[in-house]
Amino acid sequence: MFSGLKIAMVFVLLAGAGGAFMYVKNLQSNLEIARANNAKLEIAVETSEASLKLLKEDNARLNQLNDTLNINLSKSEAYGDELRATLNKHNLTHLANKKPGPIEKRMQNATNKLWDDLESITTVPDRVQSVSDGAGDQSSNKD
Amino acid sequence: MEPEIKVVTKIEKTVVPTVPHPKPVQMNDIKIYVVSPSENFEEFKKEFESKNGGDAYIAISIKDYENLSKNFAELRRYIEQQKAIIVYYEEAVSPLPKTEKSE
Repeated sequence: MFSGLKIAMVFVLLAGAGGAFMYVKNLQSNLEIARANNAKLEIAVETSEASLKLLKEDNARLNQLNDTLNINLSKSEAYGDELRATLNKHNLTHLANKKPGPIEKRMQNATNKLWDDLESITTVPDRVQSVSDGAGDQSSNKD
Repeated sequence: MEPEIKVVTKIEKTVVPTVPHPKPVQMNDIKIYVVSPSENFEEFKKEFESKNGGDAYIAISIKDYENLSKNFAELRRYIEQQKAIIVYYEEAVSPLPKTEKSE
């Protein structure tokens, strides 16, 4: 009977040792997965931070572009404002009646300058794609 | 067993191809005559006839000339602003320069 008890104890011990071994193995396996997950999460955080940085940079760039646009939009009002001020300042009818020659010269020069300006402002900006077959760089408005 | 986490981060930016700008305008010259009935009308008639024969001509009052100038100024403003907006969009959709990307 005593030996039977011994055998039973050995079996219990072996079963306990086996269970413990399996438990440790499982723990080790979980630990490996957790480590791998941790590494992946770190990479994910780095990627997210990089994305956030990129978005911030893009946002800053768009803000800068927006500021430049607003400056250019305001600048475009200058010519008309100047013209209206000049026309308000002078009585052109009176001047043309008194001195048609000089006024004619000034009007002609101003008109020629306007044509030149219109040609200049419709040229393709340096930074953008140049014209291709779809829209040539030669005007059709030729004699 | 703990489930494996799979994280996929991908930034997709819409690529909008820019199209070529239209050809610039090419203006034709025009000759303006300023005629005052009491000062140079006869001179004008002679000069005009020597250049254009007995052709009819278009007269415009000073007030209308001013309005014409203002109209051109408006068109000019519109062209410039439209162009500025197009350049803004072109630069906004263009990809970031490599130097900025790599930083």
